[in-house]
Amino acid sequence: MRFKSPLIAISAVGMLALSACGGSGSSSGAAGDGSQNNNQLGNTGNNQDPTAKGPVTISGAQKGGTVTVLTLGGLTTTIDPSEAYYTDTSSILSGLIARSLTQYKYDPKTKQMVLVPDLATDLGTHNANYTQWKFTIRPGVKWGENGKEITAKDVAFGMQRCMDAATFPTGPCQYYSNVYFLGGSAYKGIYTAPSQKFHSITVSGDTLTIKMATPFPDMPYWGTFPANGPVPSGKVSDPKTYKNHPWSTGPYMIKSFSPAKELVLERNPNWDPNTDPSRTQYPDGYDFKLQQPQEKTDQILLADSGDGQTSLTYDDLLAPDFNQMKKQSPERLTLGGSPCTYYWAPDNRKITSKKVRQALQFAYPYKNAILAAGLIPGVNAIAASNLMPPGLPGRTPYNTTGHKPFQTDPAKAKDLLKSANATGYEIKFLFRTDDPISVKVKDATVKALTEAGFKATPVPTTTANYVAARDNTKEDINVRSAGWCSDWPSGSTWLPTVYSSTNPDKTNSFGTNYAAFSNTGVDSQIKAIQRLPLDQQAAAWNSLDKSVAQKFFPLFPTYYTGVAQAHGSKIQGMNDDNTFGMPTWKNIWISQ
Amino acid sequence: MTMLAAAEISESPLSTGEEPEGKKLAGRSPTQIAFDRLKKDKMAIVCSIIVGLQVLAAVLAPWITKALNIYPTAATIPYSPDKVLNFNTGVPKHGPPEHGFWAAHPLGLAPSTAVDNLARLLYGLRTDLLIATVATVLSIGIGVILGLVAGFSRGWLDRIIMFVTDLFLSFPFLLGALAMAPIIVERFQKPGQLDTLYKVQFLALVTILTVFGWMGMTRLIRGQVLSLREREFIQAAQVMGVPTRRILFKELLPNLVAPIVVATSLALPGLITAEAGLSFLGIGINGYPSLGQTIADAQQWWDQYPLYLWAPVLTISILVVSLNLLGDSIRDAFDPQTRR
Repeated sequence: MRFKSPLIAISAVGMLALSACGGSGSSSGAAGDGSQNNNQLGNTGNNQDPTAKGPVTISGAQKGGTVTVLTLGGLTTTIDPSEAYYTDTSSILSGLIARSLTQYKYDPKTKQMVLVPDLATDLGTHNANYTQWKFTIRPGVKWGENGKEITAKDVAFGMQRCMDAATFPTGPCQYYSNVYFLGGSAYKGIYTAPSQKFHSITVSGDTLTIKMATPFPDMPYWGTFPANGPVPSGKVSDPKTYKNHPWSTGPYMIKSFSPAKELVLERNPNWDPNTDPSRTQYPDGYDFKLQQPQEKTDQILLADSGDGQTSLTYDDLLAPDFNQMKKQSPERLTLGGSPCTYYWAPDNRKITSKKVRQALQFAYPYKNAILAAGLIPGVNAIAASNLMPPGLPGRTPYNTTGHKPFQTDPAKAKDLLKSANATGYEIKFLFRTDDPISVKVKDATVKALTEAGFKATPVPTTTANYVAARDNTKEDINVRSAGWCSDWPSGSTWLPTVYSSTNPDKTNSFGTNYAAFSNTGVDSQIKAIQRLPLDQQAAAWNSLDKSVAQKFFPLFPTYYTGVAQAHGSKIQGMNDDNTFGMPTWKNIWISQ
Repeated sequence: MTMLAAAEISESPLSTGEEPEGKKLAGRSPTQIAFDRLKKDKMAIVCSIIVGLQVLAAVLAPWITKALNIYPTAATIPYSPDKVLNFNTGVPKHGPPEHGFWAAHPLGLAPSTAVDNLARLLYGLRTDLLIATVATVLSIGIGVILGLVAGFSRGWLDRIIMFVTDLFLSFPFLLGALAMAPIIVERFQKPGQLDTLYKVQFLALVTILTVFGWMGMTRLIRGQVLSLREREFIQAAQVMGVPTRRILFKELLPNLVAPIVVATSLALPGLITAEAGLSFLGIGINGYPSLGQTIADAQQWWDQYPLYLWAPVLTISILVVSLNLLGDSIRDAFDPQTRR
C-alpha cells in the first residue's frame, strides 16, 4: 500500500529514502519511549477471530461531540473505494464509511489488529487448495444514503468494478483481484469493456463465490480493502462522480466533501451496530480539515484548549513539538509501528552497476537527512536492513553488504565506486524548492554524495509537480525516493509489488516498481512462491528478498517508520492501527 | 549634488538662494539645508548609524565569517551535522539553547542543519539588502520616468500611462508572486540547471518586486509635475523653445528630489519586509540564505530555541524601523511644512 497521500510522504520524508540493505538486522527493540516494538513493525494482525460479533461497546464511552482531524497532505488522493490505495484514504474509508468483506479490530491487550468479519458472516470458507472462496453476506446492512438493504450482488458489483485498471489506475485491484481471480488478468473492466463478461465472482442468494486462478490463501486479508465492498450499480456509481460522494455503509456518511480542503462526516442513521463486529458510533461526526500547516496543527494540539481538546492529527508531530509533547502530556501521544519501508530506488535501467548502487547505500547521509527532515529517530525513523519491515512472518534479518544501522561511510563508497570504475558517477534526484524540509534534505544529500565521490545533481521541482515528475518514466533523474507499506502481513504484498518486472519504456508507468527492476528469473520465482503451500510461503518470500538483494541490489531501504501522532485531551480511544500507521477510528469517542 | 539650472532659469524658485557670484553665506541649496536639518535631528543620526552598521555587516559578511571561521550554508560547513547535534532532539550539543554562550558560534548553531546562525544572519542580511536596494532603485527609476512623462505630456500619453499604472495597482501582488514561482521552477526542472535556477529566481524576485513597486512613485511624481508645469519657469522654458527632454530632466527633476528621496527611504524597508514575507511563504529565492527563510525555519523551534527565531526577527525589525524613522526624518528635513 502506498504511504499516506503523496504529499505527506513527500513532506515528511519523501526525499529521504536512500539505503541500507544491510544493517546488522534492524534496530534494537523498543523505541526510546518503550511504547512500540521496532522489531515487530510489520507484525500487523496475524490474529484472527472469525466469530467476532456486534454490537461493540466501549465501557465508559459517551456519545456526542465532533472530532476535528487536522492534516497537512492527507486525503488528497481519491476516496472512491475502488481506487483508494493510500494508507490514509483506506483507513478512513474502512474505519468510518465503507464496509467490506472483512475488517480489523483493535485488541488493546496486544496492541495489535485482529482480523474479524465485516459484511461477511465469517472470514470466508475455502476449498482445499485455496482456489475457491465463499463468503456469506450478512442480512440487515443498509445503505446510508437510501436505506435499502445491501445484497451480495452489490458486493459482487463493487469487487468487479475495481478490476477496471484503466478507470482506476492507482487502485489496488490490479495487483490482487486481476492477478489472483480466475480470468482477472484478461478482464478489462465494466467501464473499459462493458460487453466483456467476468464469471469468477458468482452470487447465489446471499453467498458470494470467488474462483481463483492461483491459490490465494490471503483472501480474507484482501477482503479488508474498501475495494472489496459494495458499490451501488447504475448511474450513481459513475467513476467520475462517485469519488466525490461514495455511499456509506459504515457508521458515518459524507455530509460534504471539498477535495484537498474539508471532509465532513455525519452519523449514518441506517447503520446497525448489531451487524458490525468492530465499529462504533460514539461521536456525532468528524470534520477533516486538510492542508493545515504542520506547525499550526502541532501548536493547537500542544495548547489543548477549546476545539483543540477534541482535535487529533494523523500526521507525525515535528521533532521539536514531539519532544515538547513528550514532556508536557505524554498521554496525548499516539505511538506505534507502521508496516512501511522508505527506500531509495536507483533507476536500474540507468544505474546498471550493482557496485554503484551499493556505493549509494554507504554514501547516503542517514543521520543528517533524518535531522534535516525533523524526524524522530527510533520512533518514525528506524534503521532498516531488509526491504520487508521487521515482524512480517518468515522474515529474518539479512545483511548482504555489511552496512551498519544508519552508517554513512564515504570511504567505503569511494572504494566501491573505484572498483566499479565509476568515480564521479552522476546521481540525479528530485527535490522541491518550495518545501524547506526537502531543500534541507537535498543539501545534506548533495554533501554526502559529493564526499563519497559521486557527482550530485539535484533536480528542482515543486511540491505540486513532485509526484508527477517522480512517476514520469522519462524524467531525467536516476534515483527515486519511495515508500511502501504492507497490504497485510505477508511477503506477497512486498516482493510482487516492488520487484515484479516492469516495462516503463513501453507502458510509461513504473506501477509500484520505482527501481524499474526487471528480471524474468525473479518473476518466475515470485510466481513459484505464490503456488507454494501456505506454510512455506513466508520463508520463501524472505529468502527471495535476500537473494534479490544479494544478486542484484536493486534498491536499498533508508529506514522503517512508525507513528508519532497526537490528540486533544478529550479524545479517547485513539491508538495506532499498525496495519496502516493510522488512528484506530473505530474506537474513538469524546469525553465530556 | 542637486543640479540646479540656476544660470538659465532665473525664475526657478529654487535658485533664489544661489547667486553664482554671491556672498559665501548665500550658497545653500535646498538639499544642503535639508542635510543641515538632518544633522541636528538626533533620531536621524541614531538611525543612520544603525542602518550604516547593518549595511556594513552585510557588505563585510564574507570577511567577518571568514575571520570567525563560521559558515552560512549546509554545503560549506566543514563538520557533519550529526556530530554536533543531538540525534534524538535535533538541537545542538553545545551552546544555546541548552547550554550557555559558545564563543565558536556566538549565536549558536541552527537545529536540524547545524549551520552557524550568525553566518546565516549576515549572509541573509546581505541577500535581503541587495534585493531590496536593487528593486528600490529600479522601481523608483521606472516610477520617476513614467511620472515625469505622464505629468508633463497631458492628453493621450498621460491617460495611457495612468491606465497602465491603475492596471498594475489593481493586480494582486501576492497572487502574481505565487503564480510565477512554480512556473520558473518548472522551466528549469532539468539536471545541471540548478545554479541557473537560483540566479533566475533571484532576478525574478527583483523583477516581481519592481514590477509591483513602481506605481506609487509614478502617481506621486505625476501629481508633483502637474502642479510644477504650470509654474512660470517651466512656461518660460517652453516659450524659449527648450527641448522637452531638457525640461523634464533639467528643470522638473531637480525640483522633485525631495519627494524622491523620501519615497526611496520609505520604499526600502517595505521591500525588505516583502522579500522576507515571500521567502517565508516559500516562494522567494533558493540557494542564498535570507532572513525570511531563517524565520520560516525558526518558527517551529520557538518554544525550545527562542534565540534561533529572535536573532533574525530582531535584525529585520531593527533594520526596518530604523529605515522608516530615517525616512520620516528625511521627509521632515526636506519639507518644512511637516516639521514638528
